[in-house]
Order: sequence, then C-alpha cells, then structure tokens
Amino acid sequence: MLGVMRTVFAAALAVGVGASSAHARQDKDTLVVGASLFTDSIAPTGGAYITLSLCYQTWEPLVARDDEDKLVPALAERWEALSPTHWRFHLRKGVKWHDGTPFTAADVKFTIDYVIDPKQVYARKTRIAGVVSTEIVDEMTVDIKTSTPAPLLLRGLADIPIESKAHTEKVGQVEAHKKPMGTGPWKYVEWVAGDHYDLAANENYWGGAPVMKKLRIRAIPEGATRVASLVAGETDIVEEIPVDLLPSVERRKNLKIDAVESSVSLVHTFDTRKPPFNDVRVRRAIDYAIDKQALVKQMLGGYGSVLDGQLVTKGTFGYNPNIKSRPYDPTTAKAMLAEAGFPKGFENKINTLSGRYLSDVDIANAVAGMMSQVGVKTSVNVVEGGVWSQLDRSRDQGPMYQVGWFSVGDADFNTVWYTEASKRNYWTNAEFDKLWQEARSTMDEAARLRAYNRMMEIMHDEVPSIFLAGLPRISGRSDRVTGWMPSRDSLLRLHKVSVK
Amino acid sequence: MRYLLRRLMLLPVPLIFVIGFVFVVLRLTGDPVAIYLGLDATPEQEAVLRADLHLDEPVPVQFGYFLLDLVRGDFGTSIQFKRRAMEVVRERLGSTLQLLALGLLVAVVLGVLGGVASAVWKDRVPDFVISVLAVAGQSMPSFWLGILLIQLFALELQWLPTSGKGGWEHMVLPVITLATFLVPNFILVMRVSVLEVAREQFVVTARARGAGPARALWLHILPNAINPVVSLIGLQLGRLMGGAVVTESIFAWPGVGRLMVSAIFQRDVPIVVAAVFIVALTIVLANLVVDLVQAAIDPRIRLR
Repeated sequence: MLGVMRTVFAAALAVGVGASSAHARQDKDTLVVGASLFTDSIAPTGGAYITLSLCYQTWEPLVARDDEDKLVPALAERWEALSPTHWRFHLRKGVKWHDGTPFTAADVKFTIDYVIDPKQVYARKTRIAGVVSTEIVDEMTVDIKTSTPAPLLLRGLADIPIESKAHTEKVGQVEAHKKPMGTGPWKYVEWVAGDHYDLAANENYWGGAPVMKKLRIRAIPEGATRVASLVAGETDIVEEIPVDLLPSVERRKNLKIDAVESSVSLVHTFDTRKPPFNDVRVRRAIDYAIDKQALVKQMLGGYGSVLDGQLVTKGTFGYNPNIKSRPYDPTTAKAMLAEAGFPKGFENKINTLSGRYLSDVDIANAVAGMMSQVGVKTSVNVVEGGVWSQLDRSRDQGPMYQVGWFSVGDADFNTVWYTEASKRNYWTNAEFDKLWQEARSTMDEAARLRAYNRMMEIMHDEVPSIFLAGLPRISGRSDRVTGWMPSRDSLLRLHKVSVK
Repeated sequence: MRYLLRRLMLLPVPLIFVIGFVFVVLRLTGDPVAIYLGLDATPEQEAVLRADLHLDEPVPVQFGYFLLDLVRGDFGTSIQFKRRAMEVVRERLGSTLQLLALGLLVAVVLGVLGGVASAVWKDRVPDFVISVLAVAGQSMPSFWLGILLIQLFALELQWLPTSGKGGWEHMVLPVITLATFLVPNFILVMRVSVLEVAREQFVVTARARGAGPARALWLHILPNAINPVVSLIGLQLGRLMGGAVVTESIFAWPGVGRLMVSAIFQRDVPIVVAAVFIVALTIVLANLVVDLVQAAIDPRIRLR
C-alpha cells in the first residue's frame, strides 16, 4: 500500500513544480528539521534512539560520539584508566547549566548513581553495565570503578546524558525529565506531543553557540509527506528519504541528498539447528545465490555498501580487511546445493519486519526471488513488531529471518547476537564465544582487534547469516543549508548547521 | 425519560467489552517489557520493570488489577513514556476531535445537499455527475487522495501547508481527505431516502393540496427523509476513527490515532486502553445523542 502511494507521489513530483513555497517558514532564524520518528516523552530513561536524539539537543554525555562514530570529549575533557577497572575523568571547566549554575563532579555522580540503581528503570543502563561506583575526587574530577575490566565503558557512557543534581532535586525527576535543563547547545522552549519540539540556541555553549537562533524538530512520520515538506520549503532538513523517492529529490536543483553508511548491518540469519540450514554447504550455497551488489543498487538506491563477508561495516572497530564477500554465482550455488543433497532445492521462508529498516520488505522479497532462482522456493513472511520480539526470545524465527544489527562503532555490540550470552542465537561456536568474552574484558586494543578479526573469519567460514549490506542513512536538505551531515548513529547534531 | 435512563444504564457494557478485548489481545501477542528495554536488556533489569508494571502475575490477575485501577479512574502509566496514560492521550485528543468533528460536519452537509440534489434531478445530468463523484470518492483510498491533495494544493498551487498543526489552513487538506471518505455514503443514503419519502401518501396529499415542489421538499420530504442519515452518523463514527488514523499519519497530524497505532506496536497497553476507552466512549455517547435526536425527530421511536 505504501509502495503504491510512493509511486504515485514520485510520479507527481517528477512532473515538476515551482521552487519556493508561499508557506515556507517566515522566520529566517529557525532551523526546521523533519524527523521520521518522534516520541511522546523526552525523558532520558527511554530506550529508543529517537529519544536519545531529542535528549542530546539539551543534555550531553561525558564522552560523546561524533557523526563518524568516533569518541570525542564532551563534558569530560580527558580521561585515563588508572587500572583496568578504575577510570578517571577530568571534567571540562567553565561549563554552565542552562540555568547559569556551574557543572561539577556532583552532577556526574548523581546521574551515574541513579542510572545504575537497580530499582531505577533506565532502558540504556546495560550500556554501562559493570559500573559499581562513582566517586568525586574533587570538584572537577570523577572516578568510575567497574567490577571487571571495561573496554566498552567509554562507548557506553556516550549513551548516558548527564543531568543536573541541583535542578532535579529542586523540581523533582518527573518535572526535570519533562522540561530538560542541560548543558547542551540548545535550550528547551516547548514540546508539543506528536507535533514538534522547539528549542533556542544556548548562546553560552562551551562548544560555540549554535549558528541558528532557533530549532524546531517536527514529527513527520510519512516519508512522502516528509519529502513534500522539504520541497515546499517548510523544512530545511528531512531525515530518512524513502528509496523510491530518491530520484525525484535528486532531480530538483535546490535540494541535496546526503548519505552516510550507518553501523547497522542488514543480515539474513539461518536457523542452523535444523535441516536444511544445519549443513554449512547449504548456507554457503545460499550466500553464492544472492547478488548483493544488485540489492544495494536496486533497493538502497546505490547508497550504503555490500558487507565484506562479515558482520561489521568498514568503519567499525573489529573490521577485518582480509575478508571479501562471496561473489554472486548461481551456478556454484546450484552445484553446492546438489552436493549437499538438494538438487531440486527445498521450500523456505524468510521472516521480516516491515518499516523497521530501510527497504526491509523489498530486500527480503528480492532475496527470496534470488533464492528461488537456484531452486530454493522462498516466501516472505512479514511479522508485526510485538509478535517479532516474542519469536526472538523463544528463538522461533523459522529457517531464515532478516534483521539489522547495530554496532555503534564497536564489534562487541553486534557480535553478541551470535553468542550464547545473548540467548537469541541459533548458531553457536565455542571459539567464537571465548574470543567475544576475551575481547570485552581486556584493555589491550590490539588484542581486542585480533579477537574480532578472528571472529569475523569464523563467521565468514561458517555463514551463520548472509551478510548483505551496511544500511545507509539518507537525508535531504535544501541547498541553503550548510554544515549538515547525517550521522552514522542517527543522532541529530545540529548546532553547526546554518540556513542562508 | 425512561428511554434515556435505559440507554444510560447500558452504556458501560460495550465499553467494558471493548477494553477487556483490547487488554487480553495485546497482552497475549507481545511482551511490552521486551519491546521497551530492547534486545540487550539483562534479566535483572527486565524483572525490575516487570514487577514495576505488575507483569509478573498471570494475565487474569493482571486484568483484575487493571479493572480495579480503572474503577478508580486510573488508566495506569505508559510503559514507553513513564507518564500517566490518560495525560498522554489527553494531549492528543483535542487534535483528533477537531479533525473528526469538522470532517463529519463537512461530510454531512455535502452528503445531504448532494443526496437531495441527486434525488431532485433523478436520472438527469446532476444525478449522474453526483453519483459518479460519489463512487469515485468511495473507491479512492484516503492515503492516495491525501498525497494527491498535498501535491496539488501544497506543492503546485502553494495555497496550503503540506502537513503539521497550526492555523486553519493546516486543517483544510486533512478535513477534505477525511470527509471524502464519508460523503459518498451520506449522498447515497440521502438520495434513496428522499426518493422513498417522496412516494409516500402524505407527500402526494400535500402536493394535491397545492404545495409547490420546493415547499413539499423542504417541509414535508426532508424532515422525514433525514432520519436514516442521522443514524448513519452513528454507524460511521467507527469508520471515521479508522480514517483518522490514516489521515493523521499522512498529514503528520498530532492526533490520538497515530498515538494509538504506535502504542499498539509497543504493546503499551495503558495508552492503548486509555485511547480506546476515550474513542469508544465518544462513539457510544455520540450514538446515544444520535438516538435521542432521532427520537426527537421521529416520535415513533419514543413509543417503542
């Protein structure tokens, strides 16, 4: 149904319409962003990445990720590991909360303490699992101790916004989470459920005042409408342009498309516990049967890239440059299937979500088509999200399912789904599990890289999943906008963006 | 009066049925804790949230708790947003009611006028044109019409904004989309009803006593022909709500429909129940009003 709608819209756009609109924003000082997802709460306790994206307009973490998933200093200026389980953070001096009070170590301790409180529901608390205590050394220095060596602590801290102790104690947590008061580039102005979030520039921001005076993040869930709002000049930037609308945006001179490869790897995972996929020859055969280049070109508009025969994308820590994707070779695929005892193929089914990942159902259908070409008659089964999560927990997704695993820059975050520790794995491998444990409990970066590289080799050889593509994030903007790039982790970073 | 009392006493029955159904179906088909915390949650963390939400009890016990809270007017706390469910729904309710009320008003006015015109000029050009438009309107999916309207009025002519909430100009396209979805039904029902009443003895008598065609239409036919349209309003409210979900998504309208759909995906039962309760209550009350209006128009209903 959505497909039909987009086709109609794309055709309509292709006809071509005048540039600027009478209903473009009157206010020249405001940056307007059309967001694909929105939430009815901006409390940092929520789990979804859109919540974090909205939170980080006003709040900041100790250590932040940049658009490239690299770690950069934020509220902590620098840090060092005094021992593998003891970190020291030197806080940035002269940072002020939006209410003018100074930011200190007490705020950091207050935030980390409540996040790790077992009675507190905080969706991202597993990001800093293992933290046992936070100690104030002096006004501007904080020590964080972990139960075991924690090489992933810094990456985890990037997902924890630091909140003001004094402010929360004054107004209460509920109120503090309703009207954020942080140290970040933007100040809270107004939040209207389901419609928009208005913010004003923090002129005293330590990282430099935002270029624009005001920011409005609008909720526009429907892709075609989002694109229409950009064409009409109502928005300056829109997130997530549907692939089938790309040509109609590309054709317009005053609009630009920016794409970046995210750290989401789209894969098709096999149930390796049961025939036919318990046979590695069958899994390899299927790998040869899928034309991954064609998928990226046709289904992702040429953005994103084919995964190099491994789980992680090129920019992720743990990427193994020596592994290459198996080529598209249906003849070999058929021969291997025959050798494994399936000369006539077999019946197969792929489970997928709809609308969770870019072009998800289209890609599943294309894969099913390619499998059918080599004799494996495959159908696609679109599963609703709630039912999906139940199937996931009971490891009942069927012979094959499509999923996108997030790494946010480090292989630990997505390799976990292939270990026994995840309780979601179908395939299992003792060496793999051991390497994963080792890599997450040593501070030696070279050793960690070696472990992940070996894990990629094992996976390439064993094919627990077909590694399809690193999904792109495709956003659109007016050509009057400068300083914008979509980020690999989908968070909106807007303080350097300007609109002429 | 007794009629009103009887109707009021029956009012909670459909509401309880609807809420019970929603609750059980949502609880059985998905686990809100797993969805909220995501895949990498630890068992301890899940246990905390589960206990927090009373999800560690069997479903019938949960439903018992839930009903007890409901009796006290407490719809519980949203799982995703950690805020009172009713508060979240209330924020969105005004937008939806605005849309529904205007859409319905436009649909009824156009539907009645169209139906009358169609009946008056039966089998002639206006009747033909209106019927064709009605069929076209009915067969056009809302999402398609919505996108076409955005294309024409927001991009081509640049008269109206594409989406979002704001001044009156933001309402035009969503209201047209929603009304188009309903008008055809009203036209067809009104047309048939007018034609039927026009054949009745009392109309023939009125005409025989010298009433002109206009007088016969406005004074004798219309008051008697309007009743099926009034009952149709009650019947269409449910469909209207369904149409609102689609319309709200296309036009990024911050209404309850969109909220409800996303809450269903998240198995955020308190939000879904609060929203369904309000929607069901609106529909039940509107139907009550419809019945009362009908009783006022047509004394035969009161006597039954």
